[in-house]
Amino acid sequence: MFFDKNGFMQSVLTERRRKTIPIMAMPGVELIGAKPQDVFRDGDLQFRCIKALSEAVPVDAQVTFMDLSIEAEAFGSKIAFSEHENPDVIEVLLGDASAIQALQEPKVGAKRTGEALHCARLCAENLERPTFGGMIGPYSLAGRLADMTEMMLLTASEPDLAHELLSKTTAFLKEYARAIKSTGVAGILIAEPAAGLLSPEMCRQFSAKYMEEIVKAVRDDSFMVILHNCGRVEKQIDALLSTGADALHIGNAVDICNILPQVPEHVLVLGNLDPVNVLKTMTADQVYEKTLQLLEKTASYKNYVLSSGCDLPSAVPMKNIQAFLNALKTYNKEKDHDEL
Amino acid sequence: MTNFDALQTAVLKGNRNDVKDIVQQAIDNQEDINAILDQGMIPAMREIGDRFSRNEAYVPELLIAARAMQAGLTLLEPLIAASGRKTMGKVAVGTVKGDLHDIGKNLVAIMLKGAGYDVIDLGVNCDVGKFEEAVAQGANVLACSSLLTTTMPYMKEVVEHFKGRKVKIIIGGAPVTQDYADEIGADGYSEDANGAVKLVDKIFKEA
Repeated sequence: MFFDKNGFMQSVLTERRRKTIPIMAMPGVELIGAKPQDVFRDGDLQFRCIKALSEAVPVDAQVTFMDLSIEAEAFGSKIAFSEHENPDVIEVLLGDASAIQALQEPKVGAKRTGEALHCARLCAENLERPTFGGMIGPYSLAGRLADMTEMMLLTASEPDLAHELLSKTTAFLKEYARAIKSTGVAGILIAEPAAGLLSPEMCRQFSAKYMEEIVKAVRDDSFMVILHNCGRVEKQIDALLSTGADALHIGNAVDICNILPQVPEHVLVLGNLDPVNVLKTMTADQVYEKTLQLLEKTASYKNYVLSSGCDLPSAVPMKNIQAFLNALKTYNKEKDHDEL
Repeated sequence: MTNFDALQTAVLKGNRNDVKDIVQQAIDNQEDINAILDQGMIPAMREIGDRFSRNEAYVPELLIAARAMQAGLTLLEPLIAASGRKTMGKVAVGTVKGDLHDIGKNLVAIMLKGAGYDVIDLGVNCDVGKFEEAVAQGANVLACSSLLTTTMPYMKEVVEHFKGRKVKIIIGGAPVTQDYADEIGADGYSEDANGAVKLVDKIFKEA
């Protein structure tokens, strides 16, 4: 299905009605009564979760599962599956410089990348709403392979070796992004949380530069690229914009009103209701109020799209998700009323 | 006479070789060990921690500064043991049971060590038994980390396990808040590694 990216983005900018693209696939696991450890291994089950969500909640676009272990597993990392959480990398694959130098890029489709692609294809073929695929960013993947603390040390003290590893993660992710695009989904959300721990200059050199290569490989009029970073990004916005992404998805570590003035109007900004301390743990009434507050304080920015600050964890009550959407409905009704 | 400004700069810049050279020279000159630590390396680590809190320094800079300090500490350790210098206190740091994330825990351990504390790094996936072992080794403060909402509740088990004992429990991690710390009865919460050092300072000062 052709996705009219420019039309979609234009509608965000021109319609008074605010759109929402929350990052949430996990509530779908509960909707179909499946177990996370089964869902994360099975593209068909993943699709069923997202389909069930699409029937239950009126959002403007959906995102497939944010499983940031898939790509590391394809490279050879050992993964642990959990009863309640996303899978996680449990062993360091690259213990020294020689392991980095010897690292081979896997084929796209290896391990569970094939399942994620299968889910993306089913979403593109069967769901009416736009669906975005998901993958990890090059720096975060390098951190998963070499150990995050070690990758940070390499970045500061052995930059050539860090760049060598980043070239390899980027080469694989470029191909993986192309494969996600070929499934027919509307775009991709690339999660690069580890870059949020870097200085602005390091973020540019060790993440944004590589991200830009990936964006260039896939972005066009029918394929939208959203860059997710949930760190303290107030000083990194220039670096994030240099990637050429269509949209920035901002985490809840920052006040989004410190970000929006830094972003030109042609780039969308999504965010950033706290998925844990608001959406999961507050009452439905509190979620409703917090969502309305976020909508009110961002009201003057045309390029803003309501979202969660990150992927929703397990056990977020459905009544809280409904409260989030009810707040948006109320807000949009008031906007329509103002227009009349 | 040791140039403590140069030692501080070397730590701040994460220059391991310079730290080693200056510390070795100081040892050769029979410089007071307390001065090397208290006028050179520890203030530098506290300074980088404060810069981190102000969003003026970032995780890689913290890590290389800590590694540089460790290079100096390695040279000093036999002398510290022989001098009978008292540590500022013993703190055990661990990511709680079920959780395998370690960068936050590592940062807290590094910053505490840099501030002069004796740190027991318990690693990840720590049950109460592991924390209990740390207490047996003399830890007065247990710092529990968690990145996952599903592992956060284990912090409550740790707090309840040590209830009524002299040991203090502090908590942190991405989903953790001061409200949660209050709710489970933890002795403190910090949102970042430098804040954890200040919290531990406060606990030992009040002890």
